[in-house]
Amino acid sequence: MRLAFWLYEGTALHGISRVTNSMKGVHTVYHAPQGDDYITATYTMLERTPEFPGLSISVVRGRDLAQGVSRLPATLQQVNEHYNPELTVIAPSCSTALLQEDLRQLAMHSGVPEEKLLVYALNPFRVSENEAADGLFTELVKRYAAEQEKTAEPSVNILGFTSLGFHLRANLTSLRRMLQTLGIKVNVVAPWGAGTDDLRKLPAAWLNIAPYREIGASAAAYLCDRFGMPALYDAPLGVEPTRQWLEGIVREINIVAAAKGAPLLRMPALRAFSLDGLSAPSGVPWFARTADMESFSGKKAFVFGDATHTVGVVKFLRDELGMQIIGAGTYLERHAAWVKEQLQGYLPGELMVTDKFQEVSAFIEEEIPDLVCGTQMERHSCRKLDVPCMVISPPTHIENHLLGYYPFFGFDGADVMADRVYISCKLGLEKHLIDFFGDAGLEYEEEAALQPDTAVSSNGHESNGPESATSVATPAQATDPDGMSWTDEAENMLKKVPFFVRKKVRKNTETFARQQGESCITADVFRQAKESLGG
Amino acid sequence: MMQVPGEFPIIKEDNVTHSFCGLACVGWMYQKIKDSFFLILGTHTCAHFLQNALGMMIFAKPRFGIALIEEGDLAKHEPGLEDIVAEIKADHHPSVIFLLSSCTPEVMKVDFKGLAHHLSTPEVPVLFVPASGLVYNFTQAEDSVLHSLVPYCPEAPAGKKNVVFLGSVNDVTADDLRAEAEELGIPVGGFLPESRFDRMPAIGPDTVLAPIQPYLSRVAVKLARERGARVLNSLFPFGPDGTRVFWEDLAKEFGIQVDLRDREKAAWEKIRQQTELLRGKKVFLTADTMMELPLARFLKSAGADVVECSSAYINKKFHSRELEALEGVRVVEQPNFHRQLEDIKRDRPDLIVTSLMTANPFVGHGFIVKWSMEFTLMSIHSWSGVFTLANLFVSPFNRRSKLPAFDETVWLEGVMPSAE
Repeated sequence: MRLAFWLYEGTALHGISRVTNSMKGVHTVYHAPQGDDYITATYTMLERTPEFPGLSISVVRGRDLAQGVSRLPATLQQVNEHYNPELTVIAPSCSTALLQEDLRQLAMHSGVPEEKLLVYALNPFRVSENEAADGLFTELVKRYAAEQEKTAEPSVNILGFTSLGFHLRANLTSLRRMLQTLGIKVNVVAPWGAGTDDLRKLPAAWLNIAPYREIGASAAAYLCDRFGMPALYDAPLGVEPTRQWLEGIVREINIVAAAKGAPLLRMPALRAFSLDGLSAPSGVPWFARTADMESFSGKKAFVFGDATHTVGVVKFLRDELGMQIIGAGTYLERHAAWVKEQLQGYLPGELMVTDKFQEVSAFIEEEIPDLVCGTQMERHSCRKLDVPCMVISPPTHIENHLLGYYPFFGFDGADVMADRVYISCKLGLEKHLIDFFGDAGLEYEEEAALQPDTAVSSNGHESNGPESATSVATPAQATDPDGMSWTDEAENMLKKVPFFVRKKVRKNTETFARQQGESCITADVFRQAKESLGG
Repeated sequence: MMQVPGEFPIIKEDNVTHSFCGLACVGWMYQKIKDSFFLILGTHTCAHFLQNALGMMIFAKPRFGIALIEEGDLAKHEPGLEDIVAEIKADHHPSVIFLLSSCTPEVMKVDFKGLAHHLSTPEVPVLFVPASGLVYNFTQAEDSVLHSLVPYCPEAPAGKKNVVFLGSVNDVTADDLRAEAEELGIPVGGFLPESRFDRMPAIGPDTVLAPIQPYLSRVAVKLARERGARVLNSLFPFGPDGTRVFWEDLAKEFGIQVDLRDREKAAWEKIRQQTELLRGKKVFLTADTMMELPLARFLKSAGADVVECSSAYINKKFHSRELEALEGVRVVEQPNFHRQLEDIKRDRPDLIVTSLMTANPFVGHGFIVKWSMEFTLMSIHSWSGVFTLANLFVSPFNRRSKLPAFDETVWLEGVMPSAE
């Protein structure tokens, strides 16, 4: 038992539905109490899905437990009738797992054919999001992948891309662009956008690409064992790793090509990988050599995240930007050994392995690095500590689901990472200059207070502290040009308005009062204004 | 589907739907009661819910947390929370700790009452709040929080006649309601809850309890039973219609006759543009926050055609006036989402009021949508809330009319590959 405020990894149930939400014709039924399907909201809000996620809940109520009623068969029938999925994955939640029901038996009562159902019951107290997603995906690949002819043209499968993945769409675009330049077809992307038929034809590809250590690597390993398919597990994070990745693909494809007697692939000139086809594929190598970037060699960085990104970003910062690594860590204990091995020689001390954000925050506070690369939680911790931070790892947040093209993978991704390093550090420097010259003006403070993610206010309450509220409001009052006076009572009422709209309410109230011919804002005038202007 | 017997017909279905569990109330309750700490005895699922669905990952040190049940704790007879409570006290110095139940410890049959009693000290009481998704939806656990606060409301002596408003609202709304009551000559005893634990209102046999949120039936019944307080049976103070009836009925409890018809008329006049737009529009409420009955009643009064009003929980007595006002509207308790989806595709309502989980997909299907959760986050009470309330319904129409035509075959391509 411990006190938790926030966790890096989601639940097993979340991992399961990330896979099924990625797929066509696959539905998940949570056998769970009301509300355990909250995760649907993250699909519809973060990924802004225009279709209903394939996720239903077979609600378990306290009364049902007392009466021995199960709604699972009826829910499965409804799902079958309304969505007609090729496969329905049935999963218990943490509470219903304790009931030790025979879900297979219950599911059979629905009359839905057995081959259309898969009970995926994990121990939710032991297995978390990534392991569950990786496990289910592998299970599905085992279920459907079938022996078949290889494609005539060189082709690859891209494995492990999953709903709510970190910069998923842009990373996929980056990989597709590079593969197209190499003249390699994409046979299947899975689970993202794949149906069961796509899983069936996985073995037709010449090579599997599984860049994420967390999800997809186990499926690639299975396909290697079962069908003898080669796999490339590297993540193309940074310029040199991308070049090695490309060479790895050409090498593996050519082994198959040679065996088939097909023509061998040739690595094109690097400029072919640039966005316009005419330039260097990445600006990073030159950028890193420029004089103004010299200051980076003295900068100390700390990296924390999942396994894939922690490894990739540490290497990128040190090997390609010449920064100093003062520490790194991961919240994925399951992959910690791999991360340690990968980062041999990169870290001055031990790899930090923890799922407690407070420990990470304490380290940052102790060391005050020049740059922190972390998750959204480190960004939050760093904001309080005034330490520059860029987000390089899931769990994703609405800010990781932007519309523009911001990959982390490939040459394009190296540019995005370098830009973010530069912007994060530079802003930090500017801020310190402002502080140093004593001109940390009100405008700056106000901007900081107005950061859009500082508050999800409920019932109109503002979650920022009252300190920031008064510091903004008081000067506004002093600069009021018309000199409209406010009674203390009205002023107090105004203070109860959330600070971020307070200025506007003050102005509107005064305009209203002037129209009414009032010269002083009393509590009464304030109330009338509110009524007239709508809160 | 079954018909629930009673004066006003309600259809009851099987609750296969998308909504949040009672823990959602932590999102506003911890902010309302400023010297509190909300401790949830729960699992990874509860923590993940709070940080994702309620968007709370941004607070590194909020006044709520999860006592996380890990695998090793499952075999233990009683969860040992002493250390955690000590940690909370040292870090947050709360005046009260609310101990919320969740599904897993309820399945484990944890004796929450005993646990809360054991952890309580005279200085910092620990109050048990049932909130699990096995029983409670979304806003309903606010009822449990208020329930737990009853012993901390002093006994008001007989003869002390005043109103105590029931339900958490922000300070601005509370001030408005207080001022309005005083203007009508109604003495105000306070609010349950107040913003501080040590300032809960006195309640006694001559207290009139005025529910201002529609999901608080249990605490109302408890206070009527234990303190002999009268519970105002009226409409909830939303919209010009509900607000007039609410204040007139409340005044009547104090022997004050007021006629607020002119005020109501003026309020309708103020939102004429909005009601003109809403008139004749088919509106469908899919069930989420339990605000649905009064919202549908306002829409009906505004001239909209409410084709279905679904709600997770309907109490025939507590909601009787709203149900009466909704006569002729199809009212469903614990609806089935699959059935609703079929009906919606067939009937093509002009506006759907629905949860965060289903809003964007409905938009994807070409509908105009309002997030139901917004109604719990905005000041829509009484006269000063009328404008905001009407605008919440109208803004999706206005917004849609301002956007260019949308060819979904072009602009939705590849957005959700799993749906193609």
